[in-house]
Amino acid sequence: MLTPTLKAETRDRVGKGGAHSLRRQGLVPAIVYGRALDPQPVAVKSTELERLLTSISWENTLIDLQIDHGAPAKALIREVQFHPFKPEVLHVDFMQIRAGEKVEVEVPVRIVGAAPGVKAGGVLELALHSVRLRCDPARIPEAVEVDVSALEIGDSLHVSDLRVTDAEVLTEETTTIAVVVPPTVQKVEEVVAAPAEEVEPEVVGRGKKEEEAAEAGEEEEEEEEEEE
Amino acid sequence: MLSPKRIKFRKQQKGRTRGIASRGNRIAFGDYGLQALEPGWITNRQIEAARVAMTRFLKRGGKIWIRIFPDKPVTRKPAETRMGKGKGNLEGWVAVVRPGRVMFELEGIPHDQALVAMRLASAKLPVKTRFLSRAAGGLS
Repeated sequence: MLTPTLKAETRDRVGKGGAHSLRRQGLVPAIVYGRALDPQPVAVKSTELERLLTSISWENTLIDLQIDHGAPAKALIREVQFHPFKPEVLHVDFMQIRAGEKVEVEVPVRIVGAAPGVKAGGVLELALHSVRLRCDPARIPEAVEVDVSALEIGDSLHVSDLRVTDAEVLTEETTTIAVVVPPTVQKVEEVVAAPAEEVEPEVVGRGKKEEEAAEAGEEEEEEEEEEE
Repeated sequence: MLSPKRIKFRKQQKGRTRGIASRGNRIAFGDYGLQALEPGWITNRQIEAARVAMTRFLKRGGKIWIRIFPDKPVTRKPAETRMGKGKGNLEGWVAVVRPGRVMFELEGIPHDQALVAMRLASAKLPVKTRFLSRAAGGLS
């Protein structure tokens, strides 16, 4: 696969003000770091970055990062900060890698095959969406394939069942990857009888005593007023 | 319907819903999500209505996660009552939702079905929403 390229420019202004002004210009503040490399604040075009992020699985894809028209360097996107609810990228971390030095990456899990449990009416639940691997940067797998063709209803697959070559699996072995669960039977809904009265929750601890005391106090006061 | 089992105080003040959801704003369990774009109070009846709408559409496929819980009591005074004489009676429970909160998640169904299910759920809610999918990352 062709390594995607991203152009970046160094930036002088750091901090909140600098970041805001960059974003107003259609740029995204970013940082480049790596072993034996001082962290370098850069900026990338938001349109180019968003195109890249939507076209690749960015957690486990090497990119060529070209800073200020220099020679492209291999880098991994380490973190992307998204806006909480707008489709915008706020900041990106790039980690330059060195050839031969192993890296830790999150690789997505890909389901392969059809589970007989699903044909029997079960639902295949993917409990783990990515696995953490340590591997050579040149051999980062696109995805870790999980064969579910032996799963009946109630069966599950764990990280220990994975067969990954050229990489060390760092995710705990006992973690469940996929499970076929029995279907949730939809209850035949009764004609909405008068909605059952909501059970008032139990008041616990200090609050109850205080409230009771307060209520008792109010009642006494009212009685006193009436007497007057 | 969802409501707390045990509480410390029966009545709460209204409060103000300020800011945006700094947590719970990404898909965590399923493949698709329904995210709030405005602040609001979602009652336990609305949550249930949204869940039922999705479940009916999905029939028996897929899995639903509800990522909000109505833990705030709401009180109301009886009709034609003079003001004063203390705070009203407990009327229901609401979940306080800030912009960005992923309220529902779905898994195990195709993208087009998830879109319809979420649209049906969204129609039961008092806030603007948007559909999220894991495949599109934070840019959906």
